[in-house]
Amino acid sequence: MSNKLMVLDPVGQPTGIFGRRLDVDSPMFAIHDPTYQPRDTAEALSSLKMAERLDTLEGKTVYLVNTGFAGAREFLEEVRDWFSRNRPDVKTVLKNKTSSMFTDEPELWKEIQENGDAVVFGVGG
Amino acid sequence: MESTYGVPTAPIATARFNDYVERDRQSHGIPLRFTYPPYPVGWVSRETLHGYVEGDDPVTGVPLMEEVINALTQPLTEAEKQFKARKRPQRERLLEPDTEENLHRLFLENGWTDGLPIILPTEERVGEMLTGTDRAPDEYVGMMSVTTHEERLQYTVEKCAVIAVMAGCRPEHFPVILALGASGRPSMPSSTTSFASMMVVNGPVRNEIGMNSGLGALSPVNYANSVIGRAWTLMSINFGDMRPGATFTASTGTTINYNNMCCAENEEESPWEPFHVRKGYKKEESTVSLFRGWNVLTQGIGPSQRMLEVIKNLSGGFGGAFSFAIDPLVAKSLKKDEGYDDPYKLSEWLAKNMNSEFASPDRINFIVVGGEMNPMWVTTDFSHFQTVVIEPWIPKAGIKKDAKPLRMPEPVTCADGTCGISL
Repeated sequence: MSNKLMVLDPVGQPTGIFGRRLDVDSPMFAIHDPTYQPRDTAEALSSLKMAERLDTLEGKTVYLVNTGFAGAREFLEEVRDWFSRNRPDVKTVLKNKTSSMFTDEPELWKEIQENGDAVVFGVGG
Repeated sequence: MESTYGVPTAPIATARFNDYVERDRQSHGIPLRFTYPPYPVGWVSRETLHGYVEGDDPVTGVPLMEEVINALTQPLTEAEKQFKARKRPQRERLLEPDTEENLHRLFLENGWTDGLPIILPTEERVGEMLTGTDRAPDEYVGMMSVTTHEERLQYTVEKCAVIAVMAGCRPEHFPVILALGASGRPSMPSSTTSFASMMVVNGPVRNEIGMNSGLGALSPVNYANSVIGRAWTLMSINFGDMRPGATFTASTGTTINYNNMCCAENEEESPWEPFHVRKGYKKEESTVSLFRGWNVLTQGIGPSQRMLEVIKNLSGGFGGAFSFAIDPLVAKSLKKDEGYDDPYKLSEWLAKNMNSEFASPDRINFIVVGGEMNPMWVTTDFSHFQTVVIEPWIPKAGIKKDAKPLRMPEPVTCADGTCGISL
């Protein structure tokens, strides 16, 4: 035992505090700035639930939301064209996020809730 | 969309993010049904994207669009309905005792270091580091994450002392380390692009702890610059929860991450007010200013006219931001030959007249660094994000120095007649 050392753990402690997408009025680059980065809590996250799924897409409206990463718009155009070719019974609406990929966009989410039945987000990465 | 708006979603991320997404599911407690095309999606041909959409998800082997439709229409399983976030346990203060050799291996294998040798943070060493501040060891300093959305880890004064010991710091450096910790800002935030940071110290503390603002200030020729810059990296790893692939996704990475261009400003030779004074702090205050962007864009040579000529064609600023680390010779020339007695006037001129890459004067910064060997300037695409005051972390009795503080050689002069020749 005499040649064994006792050292301190260097890793930080969990907080239950998480980063969150930016608020609509967050300043530019706030995503990189912890002083402006909105926070979420483990408690709030624990209440997240998945939505019930649709029985079918037939006659339904699917929003295709371009999150803004490179190539996403073009990829979703291909997805839209795939629906036209293979599932003409599904209406698609292709939308670009108007703010950055990191920013919340409640007006678009409400539009989708009111006018759509499902949403495809893409493409991360 | 799922939880707040009740709309079923089919998120899509490239296959490279499969593990990342799985971790996100576990930490956030919602089993989103992702589909993965091959990667990359950006900057590839339309034919390639067409093939991705018509092809299979490389993670599951299922046709990609079938998977998208299934994500929206297949009923939720019980497991999905009951899905819960995994809580991370609190960590013990001490590690299991082990031999020096095994502990060094443990730190490396756990990814708690930058890959270079560290000083093991024994209680005795950490205790000594704590003499570098009056603040209580258990005092909360801040929290950090290299990601934008994952759990922040918090740290106390003692945890910062652990990092300072690991980096090779002495107690005289500790107030700067604590100020860095108080920023809550990791030096290498996660992105598939590779972010870099720069840290610049201003005020009296620079000289008191032997930082280099002169010759070779951005090179590894100064103890304080080296260990302080490294400590910010080790903080980002251990407090920011930086784990390659899991939380850190910089595709190529950057060697700037090793030391974060840690330097002091050459206030003595600068013809301008120090950077922190220009940002509203008092000259007698000590601060650390933090910058972030992607990279060093150019390294140029020549006095002001040459510099202004070269940067006409500059491009690649991250959000239109540019920060220049310029030798005092260039700064003096900009003042004497071009009349810029305040660098902000130069920033305004650049934003207005130079080229559209310069977004606004507030995003163009000048730091004076260097030893007047040549009129050099280093152009970065860094933004200035934050300046933190160091004084609150300095002991009332002043910086705690060793009896004989460790200082590396000053630049050689012939003042003593030896001209640096070792006999």
